[in-house]
Amino acid sequence: MLFLAKLAFKNLFRSKSRTIVSVVAVAFAVMVVVFARGLIEGMIASVSADHIYYHSGHIRIVDAEYQKRERLLTLKYPVDGFAGRGLEEMTAALENLEDIEMVIPRLKFAATVSTGEELVAMSGWGVVPEQELNFTDLEDYLVEGRMVTAGQREVVMGTALLKKINCRVGDKVTILFNTAFDSLRGITFRIVGRVESGLKLLNELIFFLPLDQTQRLLDMEDQVTELLLVTPDKKLIPEVLPKVKALLAEQGEDRYLALSYRETSDLIPLMDLSAAIYNFIYIFLVLLSCVVVVNTMIMIVKERTKEIGMMAALGLEKKDILQLFVIEGAIMGVLGSLCGAVAGHLINSYLAGVGFDYGEALSGISSELIFNTMIYPVSSIHDSIFSFALGVIIVTMACLIPARKAAGLEPSEAMREG
Amino acid sequence: MALLELQGVKKIYRQGKIEVPALRGIDLKVETGEFTTVFGPSGSGKTTLLNIIGCLDKPSDGRIRFDGQELGAMDQKGLAMIRRHQVGFIFQSYNLIPVLTAYENVEFAVRLINKHDDKELREKVMKILAAVGLEGLENRKPHELSGGQKQRVAIARALVKEPKLVLADEPSANLDSKTSEEVLQVMVKMNRELGTTFIFSTHDPRVMDYARRLIEIRDGLISKDQRRG
Repeated sequence: MLFLAKLAFKNLFRSKSRTIVSVVAVAFAVMVVVFARGLIEGMIASVSADHIYYHSGHIRIVDAEYQKRERLLTLKYPVDGFAGRGLEEMTAALENLEDIEMVIPRLKFAATVSTGEELVAMSGWGVVPEQELNFTDLEDYLVEGRMVTAGQREVVMGTALLKKINCRVGDKVTILFNTAFDSLRGITFRIVGRVESGLKLLNELIFFLPLDQTQRLLDMEDQVTELLLVTPDKKLIPEVLPKVKALLAEQGEDRYLALSYRETSDLIPLMDLSAAIYNFIYIFLVLLSCVVVVNTMIMIVKERTKEIGMMAALGLEKKDILQLFVIEGAIMGVLGSLCGAVAGHLINSYLAGVGFDYGEALSGISSELIFNTMIYPVSSIHDSIFSFALGVIIVTMACLIPARKAAGLEPSEAMREG
Repeated sequence: MALLELQGVKKIYRQGKIEVPALRGIDLKVETGEFTTVFGPSGSGKTTLLNIIGCLDKPSDGRIRFDGQELGAMDQKGLAMIRRHQVGFIFQSYNLIPVLTAYENVEFAVRLINKHDDKELREKVMKILAAVGLEGLENRKPHELSGGQKQRVAIARALVKEPKLVLADEPSANLDSKTSEEVLQVMVKMNRELGTTFIFSTHDPRVMDYARRLIEIRDGLISKDQRRG
């Protein structure tokens, strides 16, 4: 009934301040929902991306024993191709699989640098420079100098690590490490680049050097500690992973594990669970704002009791009166949710550019935990639409309480009470 | 056939365990076109009788026939339909919707019937507003109208759907004597021109002067039923 909607709309102006308070309450709740969703999605996206870039790729191939002892950065369980025949054949076979875009080798090892006063522990990553720049966002973090070049004894380090060893870009540094045969070796490298990011791992713990140099210095020719496989889209992983496993099985390689990025992260499943729990929190948040709307509506029903009786006298049925009050509440829900969704979207759009720095709050976390202290909330229309719909549905449903009270009034009693 | 027929109508209100009889057995027949006043002291049962006649309330006992239909057999929806199509109400405190203009308040009653197109509806509303002397005031909201003007809007709202019966509960109680006269004359005119049946509840002697039938109620019973030429 259009005229009921028209009347409900006009009724909103009977007590403007009360309507505004109700709309603002809903708007605030919806805005917080949009913001919180954007922030959580931003965190999940950041954690997933960093984990994929700096730990697992989309699929990670390692030796099963290496996986167990990974924290020790052992060199005893390398990936050295099918039946030890070298990486070239294995890489080619993996690249031939459908939906494998890149095969990225990494050779990780433990190292130290002496400052004269203390030994600074660190982790060296032998990498193919071009592949790393293509696959990761390392280029964005290279704030000084350049990436290492294949064939050169060069390293790139994080700002905090350089500070620890009192070096800067352009300096030379002697790095101590054990080879695959457990002999101690010290080699001098030129520092050619400095990275700075919200990842403590990149800032404080690791340094990059060319893979060919790393293999030679560690006595690990044609060997790496892991192979990362990259697919065009991580949604393809469930289809690609069985093919990789089938290839390994076909080659009789039961010592290698092929793991999706989710299987190698403790944080991502936790974040996904948090996101699911947050969905319930959003509902409670909007319900909380409904208290204001329902309270307003209950007051309205009380004030308009005589008017409700009059409307019943004019021939309005109970369902019409119910409709009238639900529409009135729903309009407040729509207005509030719309304002909240737009405000939340604008806030997220702004914060998606500048981000939040959790650096101080997370200063105590382990450098090995791949968690970027710069979080960029995601600004998505989908979140705004979800929050808008959540606001409208919950507020409208909550308005059924006062509306049923109004519709339940007996006309003659309503006329007497008003 | 009488428009309205009540037989042994009783109404008992319960306040906790106490039963308060408001009507003790009313027998009444009202013919089409009558201009009837129900009067009596406060608490005698006038408003209760009007509420039951207007299908706003159900009797505790007795039978009511309205235009040949047995009201006791009807459900809430059926009673709402009778109120919507066949009964108009005029209240002591006007009960206009404050956010609607005079025109919209009257239009509201017709919109419920939903059988008119927009042009026809507008003509109908403007015609009734003119008939009650509110031409030119149709866009004013209730707070911009005097007491008499508000009551005229209420009369127009009651009459616009061309009901068979109009019930007016103390329609002049909030009006000064001059305005009260004007409003009553409007109702008399409508009764004559449209043949609408009017039943008032009042204890205002000026209203009684206009009535062609006077029904006195005392303690929930009709104590006097007098017709005048």
